[in-house]
Amino acid sequence: MARVAVKELVKRFGRVLAVDHVSFEVRDGEFLVLLGPSGCGKTTTLRLIAGLEKPDAGEIYIGDRLVNDLPPKDRDVAMVFQNYALYPHMRVYENMAFPLKIRGFPRKEIDKRVREVAELLHIQHLLDRYPRQLSGGQQQRVALGRALVRQPQVFLMDEPLSNLDAKLRVYMRAELKRLQRELGITTIYVTHDQAEAMTMADRIAVMNEGKIMQIAEPQELYSKPANVFVAGFVGAPAMNFIEASVNFERSAAVLDTGVWKIPLTEDLSKILSAKGTAGEVILGIRPEHIEVSKQPTPGAYEVEVFVTEPLGAETIIDFKHGDVIMKAKHPEHFEAKPGEKIYIKFRMEYMHIFDKKTGTAIV
Amino acid sequence: MTNLAKAIAGAFLALFALSWLLPFWSVITTALKDEIEVRTTVPIVPPSNPTFVPFVKAFDSLKTGLANSLTFTLLATIFSTLIGSVNGYVLSRVKFKHSDVIFLMLSFGIFIPYHAVAIPLIMVTSRLGLFNSILGMALVHSIYGIPICTLFFRSYLDELPSSILDAARVDGADDLTIYARVVLPLSWPAFIVTAVFQFTSIWNDFLFGVILTKGENQPASVVLANLLGTTSAEWNVQMAGTFLYALPVIAFYLLLSKYLIRGYLAGAVRG
Repeated sequence: MARVAVKELVKRFGRVLAVDHVSFEVRDGEFLVLLGPSGCGKTTTLRLIAGLEKPDAGEIYIGDRLVNDLPPKDRDVAMVFQNYALYPHMRVYENMAFPLKIRGFPRKEIDKRVREVAELLHIQHLLDRYPRQLSGGQQQRVALGRALVRQPQVFLMDEPLSNLDAKLRVYMRAELKRLQRELGITTIYVTHDQAEAMTMADRIAVMNEGKIMQIAEPQELYSKPANVFVAGFVGAPAMNFIEASVNFERSAAVLDTGVWKIPLTEDLSKILSAKGTAGEVILGIRPEHIEVSKQPTPGAYEVEVFVTEPLGAETIIDFKHGDVIMKAKHPEHFEAKPGEKIYIKFRMEYMHIFDKKTGTAIV
Repeated sequence: MTNLAKAIAGAFLALFALSWLLPFWSVITTALKDEIEVRTTVPIVPPSNPTFVPFVKAFDSLKTGLANSLTFTLLATIFSTLIGSVNGYVLSRVKFKHSDVIFLMLSFGIFIPYHAVAIPLIMVTSRLGLFNSILGMALVHSIYGIPICTLFFRSYLDELPSSILDAARVDGADDLTIYARVVLPLSWPAFIVTAVFQFTSIWNDFLFGVILTKGENQPASVVLANLLGTTSAEWNVQMAGTFLYALPVIAFYLLLSKYLIRGYLAGAVRG
């Protein structure tokens, strides 16, 4: 087991800056998720740590060793690929034995480890099959098994669940998490699925355009996003954003969205005036923090329903704010027809305010 | 398609097939005739009194040539295919500075006509002491085959999912181990296609045989042509020789044809 640290990592592909001065540290035994949209540099970062790509600048440490110039085989990492990358000409047993065989382990030891891991993953009965004779879920387990037999210092996983069907994916999330806990292997896990990241990670590093936008525990990422990107990427349905300008009426701040004037609480006003924020901001509010009702309540705004998406236990209500469609999440069933007038109210304590120019969080 | 259209298409195809097979049919019928019947009948008419004497005569003249051809064709096929496989792997997967330029230069070799290098080839082989030798023929054909073999293997290996090789690298393999344990076993379809192609084209070569060998060391293709000149036209013996000459290629093809189609399709159907 080991910690992993990357410092000021840079990787270019031609003119494209794929990884842009990325730094983070993964603690011993930690499950860190690299989360971001496709093309954000998360997979490249993983491949740099594996040694499959050479960094243009920066340092990579595994344990206390600087591994920049070590080939993958000497880094003591194991990797699971999105398409599993099993060797098609080898049986399951040989696939799992391969990393040990080329490292010159004695035959007895190989056999012992392969059978132990096969049992752990419930694939003992598949050892004689070829990969093409397995289902996607089984192939996925074999790929995990091949990584596990090595007992590596670090586990690297590149979207390992994204080729599975929805039900199996949710099951494997929990299974993977349990395995990682039991074995205590430091893990770096790449995904674009925020739900996967939230449920599995000890900490999440959100990436965009080659940069790390924020590293935090899942709950913190959700409740205190550092910028508009993280706020919009984490949480489903995504946070609503409205452009607004801040006006101070005496000491009380008011957000003018062009449609609504939203008076801010005393605390928020104080923070804004202390930071000297006036002018253009972006107001962010999550759908689950908008209360909807059919009757007007004090401080509520009247809006027109655009469409409702009933999900059984809850209802997503789309409504219009000027030209922008916003979403509210109601924790129960909510009956409303398109065009119907309803009343919405923001839970002010969950409101986020971002600087419009930089996108960074002010509150 | 209507039944009429089907019938017309069928008739056309049968006609084409017939025009392809007719010469080969004549080879067999003529080879089985005796000297008198050869002169008195039309080639496509079957022999009234089949005889194997022409085959015996032809084999007697051709046996050294056939043995020569078989030796250097097999050697050159094996060499050029193996080297092509290594080249293809390196150019497709290992990648190094200017590897694309090297590949481009290598592929020019495919387009150089045999005749253009005839004289330099004679000079080089005689300086190396390989003129008029089976080994020399094997070497010349091996080298001449490398560009096309490299092209075959590179195209094939380009289709291999790179994650498999990445996985092997992380699992602890170096380039050589990856080639031996992963790439080589996975490239058998490319080996089949390339080997059939190489065997056929080397076996059928005439020019290199004519300019680089004499007497005892001549390949079957040259010996066969010489049958024509040695005596007055003994068509039955020549046709028997032609049949014997074609046999190894047909056998090689039939032996591997089952895998050949799979090899051609391998890139297309891999999931």
